[in-house]
Amino acid sequence: MAEINPKYFELDKEMRDRNLDESTPVSLLEDVKDKGRVWDDLCEQYGVDNPDPPWRITLEATCDMLAGGYWETFNVCKPKEERNPEEEQKHLDAVERRWEEDQLVNKYYDEIPFPERQLLALAHTLIRRGLFDEEELARRMEEIDRRLNSV
Amino acid sequence: MAEKHKPAPMVDEVSEFEVLEIAVRELAIEKGLFTAEDHQRWTEYMHTLGPLPAARLVAKAWLDPEFKKLAVEDGVKASLEVGIDWVNSMPTHFGTPSDYCNLRVLEDTPKLKHVVVCTLCSCYPRPILGQSPEWYRTPNYRRRLVRWPRQVLAEFGLQLPEDVEVRVEDSNQKSRFIVLPVRPEGTEGWSEEQLAEIVTRDCLIGVAVPKPGKTANDPRPVRPAVNPYHH
Amino acid sequence: MSKPHYDREHHVKKATGIGDPQCFKGEAGQPKFKVGDKVRVRDLPDIFYNRTQVYTRGAPATVAELVYESPAAEDEAWDNTDKVVWFYSLVFKQKDLWPDYPDAFANDTVETELPERWLEPL
Repeated sequence: MAEINPKYFELDKEMRDRNLDESTPVSLLEDVKDKGRVWDDLCEQYGVDNPDPPWRITLEATCDMLAGGYWETFNVCKPKEERNPEEEQKHLDAVERRWEEDQLVNKYYDEIPFPERQLLALAHTLIRRGLFDEEELARRMEEIDRRLNSV
Repeated sequence: MAEKHKPAPMVDEVSEFEVLEIAVRELAIEKGLFTAEDHQRWTEYMHTLGPLPAARLVAKAWLDPEFKKLAVEDGVKASLEVGIDWVNSMPTHFGTPSDYCNLRVLEDTPKLKHVVVCTLCSCYPRPILGQSPEWYRTPNYRRRLVRWPRQVLAEFGLQLPEDVEVRVEDSNQKSRFIVLPVRPEGTEGWSEEQLAEIVTRDCLIGVAVPKPGKTANDPRPVRPAVNPYHH
Repeated sequence: MSKPHYDREHHVKKATGIGDPQCFKGEAGQPKFKVGDKVRVRDLPDIFYNRTQVYTRGAPATVAELVYESPAAEDEAWDNTDKVVWFYSLVFKQKDLWPDYPDAFANDTVETELPERWLEPL
């Protein structure tokens, strides 16, 4: 099989460690899931017609940005000592994100409609991959809550 | 006497989801994953996207056999004539990360009906068709359409004669697809605008066919799975 | 020992103003198959990532179009973009994919795109 890149075999264990079957619930996101009001309910209550929440497109843009405005990929073919784990985990390929979204939604967020489920799955993926942690996210959410509700 | 104008209804509360979206984005920016400026530019670009250009491309093709030929041979070049530049109108100037630059226009005939799906994720021709609908992204649609196309199409209200070839286009690589449906009867003498009006997003995906008088997509209720997918 | 310099912007430089997959045009050499050829999808081992659906493995198909040249997804995912190959649009009969597909709909097909290395002559 001359066509297969031999470096694939070296990285086998590393990729297997990212197996999503070992994912755990994120309590912050479980809270949002239980207490958050989905757009469908808000629309009904306020008599609004718009099928999507205003943040749907900003969320899509965030997903595109994470997929790499400049096509940067995980350069796992670099020798181990030259890799910068922080830099490498920076980006979230679109196909990987979608696959994880399907898995996570199926496991934790199945009763939540779209696009709230895409948002929860994204936050969950980013926490799992160590891009930020739950406490940071919780603190930031509190701050934004204060900011938006203070007027 | 001044007229009283009733203000348009607005959602007057901030949901936890809205807060979460902002938090994720702000943290990502602070960690240097992308810049606020890039995100802003991308969002502005995305707000311009919708299904009208694709509908106009179909209408033009119906009216002009030469343009139809171009659309089928070179979808990217044909897109330019409806104002869509797959390469340069994107903020990157080389296409978007998930949409690439290879539009293929699938021509239906009375004996051939195309319908598009992406079984691997949910690739969609956003630059010319806008954001994908939720049902298109669900494993329900993606898994079932390639295996049971006629049953799934029947759920969308579309049934086709046995001798028609139903061709499922599985959009698994760099091409993106729109369907060029057969022009329906009862549209003789129509203008490009009138024709474009009946080419809905669902017609362009292939789960519906254009009909005079039908200018909107049908609502798609979500039902729980009969055989839910388990890990 | 000097560290090899990794150019993380090589795709930007290559594709700006040209598009992807257009930027790989002319790099794949002679295509092995032409329109109308009958081929079979090889069942190569799945090492991590590829975009060759399991349901196509081992199935016969007809080449409908030579669509573009590009690195195969399984190479591009690891940023190995030096090897560019021809991509084909292939039409499969549903009856060849699913044995119990109803005879009444014998004309039904699936069309999808695959890179050359996944195909062998039938």
